[in-house]
Amino acid sequence: MRRSEEVLPPITQRSGTSWRVGARTTLIAYAFLLPFLVLLVLYHFWPVIFGTYLAFTEYNVISPPRWVGLENFRELAGDDQFWSGVYNSLKYLLVVPVIQFLSIGVAMLVNRQIPGIGLFRTAYYVPVVTSFAIVGLMWTWMYQQDGPVNWVLTHLGLMGQPHSLLNNPATALLAVMFVTLWKGIGYYMVLYLAGLQGIPRELEEAAVIDGASRWQVFWHVTLPGLRPVILVCSVLSTISAIKVFEEIFVMTQGGPAGSTYTAMYYVYTKAFQDFKYGQAAAAGLVIAAISLVFGLINFRLTRGGKGL
Amino acid sequence: MTTLAPTPTTAEQLRARRRTRGLLGKVLTYGLLSLIAVITVYPFYWTVLTSLETTGAIYTPKLLPDSVTWRNYEAVFSNAPMLRWVLNSVVICFFGVVGSVVLATLAAYPLARMRFPGRDLIFYAILAVLVLPNEAGLIVNYITTVKLGLLRSVPGEYAAIVLPGLASVVGLFLLRQAYLGIPQELIEAARIDGASELTIWRRVMIPLALPSITAFAILDFVATWNSFLWARIILNDREMYPLAAGLLELNGLFSTNTRAVAAGTVLTIIPILLIFLFAQRYFMRGIEGAVKG
Repeated sequence: MRRSEEVLPPITQRSGTSWRVGARTTLIAYAFLLPFLVLLVLYHFWPVIFGTYLAFTEYNVISPPRWVGLENFRELAGDDQFWSGVYNSLKYLLVVPVIQFLSIGVAMLVNRQIPGIGLFRTAYYVPVVTSFAIVGLMWTWMYQQDGPVNWVLTHLGLMGQPHSLLNNPATALLAVMFVTLWKGIGYYMVLYLAGLQGIPRELEEAAVIDGASRWQVFWHVTLPGLRPVILVCSVLSTISAIKVFEEIFVMTQGGPAGSTYTAMYYVYTKAFQDFKYGQAAAAGLVIAAISLVFGLINFRLTRGGKGL
Repeated sequence: MTTLAPTPTTAEQLRARRRTRGLLGKVLTYGLLSLIAVITVYPFYWTVLTSLETTGAIYTPKLLPDSVTWRNYEAVFSNAPMLRWVLNSVVICFFGVVGSVVLATLAAYPLARMRFPGRDLIFYAILAVLVLPNEAGLIVNYITTVKLGLLRSVPGEYAAIVLPGLASVVGLFLLRQAYLGIPQELIEAARIDGASELTIWRRVMIPLALPSITAFAILDFVATWNSFLWARIILNDREMYPLAAGLLELNGLFSTNTRAVAAGTVLTIIPILLIFLFAQRYFMRGIEGAVKG
């Protein structure tokens, strides 16, 4: 191996062999890329292509896919269960502004050199590194009727008497949304922290010298400086809110009374419980379209919007 | 706000007031920081306490355990294939992390430092993966796994869990970014000395990109250790579950014994917590790099 490559002319060699050098480089480049590309195509591109095709078929893995045209989409349009899933997913979007607002706040809170701040950052980050399997179980316990959340809510006078929050259709979705928030804040906090540290300190100092109040510095210097990060974070959280699944899978399985049944939960049940892969793929495509639209809206709001 | 102080007369007074205000600010800041910390950490703490108790009301809020025992941990090990699940997780994480690190470090090299036809096309195609709708991914990957016949043997089942995550686009971007920061002169010098591209990759690129590689490896380890959905979808044999997937199984198995499930939860989270505490710096750098890159 080694010997043959020593023959490879260094860049000093010219014209006559340059084509061969180019071909060689190309070959080497593709050799480096090949394993990655094979898996990328198999597990990332193929699902998009084949999944799109499946959406127009009837398929149950056993017999080959049968082309049915727009039938799946027509069925989706008339399926109340699907629409209530979409509705719950849209409700889930309420998490987005709250999580962004809070994580900017937390990032600003921990963006200072005071004793013990590293400890706090770590504490806030622990939920991020924890599996939803664990998070979901823990919060199922937290939400029990005689559990800690009820204790806090009733003692603060926010709730008259304890309820099993996940078993109540009025509170289940909110309870799951809180878990998403709880797990997500640390993640966005780190991103905002990086953003905050990218804002030149002189800018803020100059504003203070010019007599700006704390609030004015935040509004006119910090927030505009964070804009690129806000864009990334809000698009990320919007898309993941519409596709919310794991928290629901672990904590409520769509219940009670369908109150936490989201669009992705519909895809999951159609595919892996009813074995209607075509129908599930069609629903997946619709969700992809919806999240794309909301992603774009978000993009416009955070970039074009004057307020932020 | 009732005691609006008159205009300060002496510098002494002014300083005193500033001092109290500074102190008040500090108390407020630490109070707020602690409150958030309690909210993020208490569920973990509560779970540990519950896993150590034997009797008493299970779900009530508590600050100290009523009694301490290892019985729940013994119950988990004797009633569920915990050791097997741990072994599965270790195998899956080992091959998953080593695999994706090797693939990403290899693939990022030509994309960052070589000139060849099709490079930009490949780069944009990989970028597109991040944007393309992938909602049917689970379904098609399931079909692919079945069609490849991976579910017929134990090594095949491990491969079935590991393979879909191996080509990590995030890892590729992180490493491409790291390679781009390496001075061209170093590479040229190595080429003039007659080093092969593989040697340059191994002796120049890898050592210099090591911080990013470490960050990505830790990021990937945490993600792999934590994943459960894919395993639960493709595997029929519960013995083959990784620990996180097994934990949910435990919840069904011990529907009446929350304390045992809590013990399982603690066991599942300990490795990830240790890794995270030791490698925090790298981990956070990885998260930041993934967005910036």
